[in-house]
Amino acid sequence: MPMIEIKNISKAYGSFKVLTNCTTSVEKGDVVVVCGPSGSGKSTLIKTVNGLEPFQSGDIVVDGISLSDNATNLNKLRSRVGMVFQNFELFPHLSIMDNLCLAQQKVLGRDRAASEAKGLALLTRVGLTEQAAKFPGQLSGGQQQRVAIARALAMDPICMLFDEPTSALDPEMVNEVLDVMVALAKDGMTMMVVTHEMGFARKVADRVIFMDRGEIVEDAKKDDFFGKPRSERAQQFLSKILQH
Amino acid sequence: MFSTFDFDVIARSWQYLFFEGMKFTLTLTAFATLGGLIAGTILALMRLSGIKPLEWFATFYTTLFRSLPLVLVIFWFYFLLPYIGAWATGASRPMQVGALNSALITFTLFEAAYFAEIMRAGIQSIPKGQSAAGYALGLSYWQVMGGIVLPQAFRNMIPVILTQTIVLFQDTSLVYVLSLTDFLGAASKIAQRDGRLVEMYLFAALVYFVISFALSQLVKVLQDRVAIVR
Repeated sequence: MPMIEIKNISKAYGSFKVLTNCTTSVEKGDVVVVCGPSGSGKSTLIKTVNGLEPFQSGDIVVDGISLSDNATNLNKLRSRVGMVFQNFELFPHLSIMDNLCLAQQKVLGRDRAASEAKGLALLTRVGLTEQAAKFPGQLSGGQQQRVAIARALAMDPICMLFDEPTSALDPEMVNEVLDVMVALAKDGMTMMVVTHEMGFARKVADRVIFMDRGEIVEDAKKDDFFGKPRSERAQQFLSKILQH
Repeated sequence: MFSTFDFDVIARSWQYLFFEGMKFTLTLTAFATLGGLIAGTILALMRLSGIKPLEWFATFYTTLFRSLPLVLVIFWFYFLLPYIGAWATGASRPMQVGALNSALITFTLFEAAYFAEIMRAGIQSIPKGQSAAGYALGLSYWQVMGGIVLPQAFRNMIPVILTQTIVLFQDTSLVYVLSLTDFLGAASKIAQRDGRLVEMYLFAALVYFVISFALSQLVKVLQDRVAIVR
């Protein structure tokens, strides 16, 4: 059974189709990279996986739990699916440690000491142990995104979703975030990553999904995708972003 | 021209002016600010809830109160509240509400409409991604609101809330229509008792000015101090 199954998802705003019959799946332990031109619906697709974006038809099944089933406890499901956003979305009024502890305490019911211990261990893992008492505004973008990854990991997620995690970063900070993600992938985390970082895809992806105009145009093994993408649109896209 | 003035009237009456009058003014201001802020936040949440009947009610409420003169609302509640109370409790005679309670309720309800709009702006100033991040962690609506959105919205809005409180502080003087003894009411009574209208009203104006000006300076300081670094 795949960890994430996306079955025939469609979504439209009025007559404008954002997603059209998208079907794919992510096996446990796999890293799947989603790419495509802006406006192709890749961010929307990844946000449907934990129910942040509603969809009109089709179904999504995460770890055997259907999102369209009314009996599903969406909050509980979301607490098991980690998500990292383009703009980090750390809570600016809380310290780094409080950012890490908030959901552990409120959602998982961990006590403060256990939450802090977990938070500290994860900060060490992303190389930010010294920043625990600081506030998000005092950190660089790259540091904030690493904290955001730690915050998601603090919930012991069964899989992780990344929505363009390096797009809002200054170029010199991209690698520190990608390094954390590569390490995570090598630890066997199930990951679905929307990104333009083809180097990352080359390094750790198992499969690459190419989207355009709300459709999944290609869904191929990494080597096949980079070796010989079948569709013309994927070829054009690759040639554009790999030129430099 | 000041030679004919008798400012001694202030020295004779300051205890009454401040311990009776100003105490009432400040109590009413504090009560209406706190009550209005709580009720206003609830109204703002209703208006942004996406649940149509709640939205309609909150919109109707804020629009209505923001479109009526405060004096009219004070009168309205003073005369109507006893009957509404009787109707609600099923009593046969109008309830004894009293001018003080009537004023407290009126100002709270009236301010709620203004604070609702302030809090609505505050909530809308928080990027959507913040609540999305909260939901993604598994937090519920109330946890997201209480732990993430409202604390930030409140902090962003503190200067505006304080400005509204200054306006309210001045507006409380309208309780004179119910013959309540707020600061201006107290000054007015002394002025007429001692025949020192000009002196007393000059002094009252000065006191209102000093307090309002001091608060508005505080707003300026807070504007820089409470801003959340992003």
